[in-house]
Amino acid sequence: MSEAQSTGLSDVEVKARQLDLKSLDNPRAMKLYRRFDGIIILVLFTFLVLGVQIQFTLTAGDWDYWIDWRDRRWWPLVAPFSLLLFIAPFTYGIWERVRLPIMATAVTTLLCLVSWLSRYLNFYEFTHFPLSFTFPSTYIGLGILLDCALAISRSLIVSTLIGGGLFGALVYPINWSFMAPYKVPVEFNGMLMSVADMMGYQYIRTTTPEYLRIIEESTLRTFGGSVTPLTAVFSALCGMVVYAAFLWVGYKINGLDKFTKRIV
Amino acid sequence: MARENTQSIALDGSADSKVAGHFKRNRFAYVFGAIVIAAGTAIRIYLDTMGFTVGTDYYSEEFQKYWMPVLYGELILLSSFTIILSVYCWMTRETDASSISKELELSRYWKLLGIFTVMGIWAGCVASNAVESDAAWHQVTIRDTDFTPTHIVIFYFALPFLTAMLIPAFIWTHTRIPAYMNKISVPFLAVVCGILMIMPNYGFNEWGHTFFYAEELFAAPIHYGFVFLGWSLFFLVPLAMQLIGNMARLIAETTAEDYNPAAE
Repeated sequence: MSEAQSTGLSDVEVKARQLDLKSLDNPRAMKLYRRFDGIIILVLFTFLVLGVQIQFTLTAGDWDYWIDWRDRRWWPLVAPFSLLLFIAPFTYGIWERVRLPIMATAVTTLLCLVSWLSRYLNFYEFTHFPLSFTFPSTYIGLGILLDCALAISRSLIVSTLIGGGLFGALVYPINWSFMAPYKVPVEFNGMLMSVADMMGYQYIRTTTPEYLRIIEESTLRTFGGSVTPLTAVFSALCGMVVYAAFLWVGYKINGLDKFTKRIV
Repeated sequence: MARENTQSIALDGSADSKVAGHFKRNRFAYVFGAIVIAAGTAIRIYLDTMGFTVGTDYYSEEFQKYWMPVLYGELILLSSFTIILSVYCWMTRETDASSISKELELSRYWKLLGIFTVMGIWAGCVASNAVESDAAWHQVTIRDTDFTPTHIVIFYFALPFLTAMLIPAFIWTHTRIPAYMNKISVPFLAVVCGILMIMPNYGFNEWGHTFFYAEELFAAPIHYGFVFLGWSLFFLVPLAMQLIGNMARLIAETTAEDYNPAAE
């Protein structure tokens, strides 16, 4: 039985595969492969930077711009929701096609780099807010956890349940060391507030709805201290659901790797 | 034309030194990359210098003198750039795909990667400079026009320039590379259409902003159109896979020991 018959491939496909395998021993071909790998990674990552910046700025940006906005109810929920939604389709494509569990780490690292650059140029240089008030949060650790869940389990379902859940649940703890100094209580004009609240009063954002009030509203500060773990659990649930939903979007989009004769 | 061009193409056999050969091969990406970085830097310096000094009151003489001509200049420049380049790419299209040698086809893939690299550099500039400059501006400045200085930079230059590069690149690819001729790549079309449709979406965004002067919540639903259209970048993975598949095949073929260009 010929190779073509045993594998179910056509003769042309078998010949192309043999040529591909043979080229792996060809140093000239390998040099060119490495060159185009490098260019494609550069191009993909630069477009990713734009994509994640647009996505994150317009869905969770407010919670990331200001230290006093990083509350216990909305920030740990919207930030992972927004990121997982963007990461999932890329993870699906890159995992299915080239078996690389890297996209969550790549997206979160790129977001960190571009956010620092952007905060410096736009919030510090352009509108003169101090960087200690507008520095970005970090999500790189969450990206690594999500990719590790995929690398170890080699299953998108398991990584959704474990990685997606951890990504949602650990936003607050992973940023805690950066934020702790801003959560120190202070008294101002007879009112108890945090250092972050004070900064919000001092550096006035004249056209935002939050320019003269404490961000954490309603019963949040009289809720017996369980708001953070409650949000973490809910965020873990949302993380799993949104990650699974957008893996499905990635599955559909990667199925469109085709040509058409007509647009309509 | 195709046969003539084939003569000047070398895969790796250039007599130049390693560094000179690298720059020569990638001159398109380096020259145009430098041009777009220069353009981005220039307009950013203009924004920093003139934004808050003469750009906060649309009804002032200074605004009409220093910002509106920039807007008109951008619109004329970018529409001319897109139309002229697109028409040129179409009018000089290949009509016979069979006359294109494998070396020429491969060299055109390298050129396409060069074009994408330039667009990627611009995407990085937009992400780090433009996106959050609008966020920072609107959180401290009353909105009295759709043509704020940051909008003039991001809405009418930064993002349209990406479209102005993508449309001719799409036409160039579909009229020069045999694998794309006489058909349309669905992921490439999706990326182009998604970025292009961001411009009509300005209408939705600005219409939403006419309801209020001073409430700039960046995660507000009137911004979700940009987010949704940004998801067109999810199609970059299938597009990259198309390019990788085709280029890998061509590299394997043209570097094979028994490859004979004359036999084509």
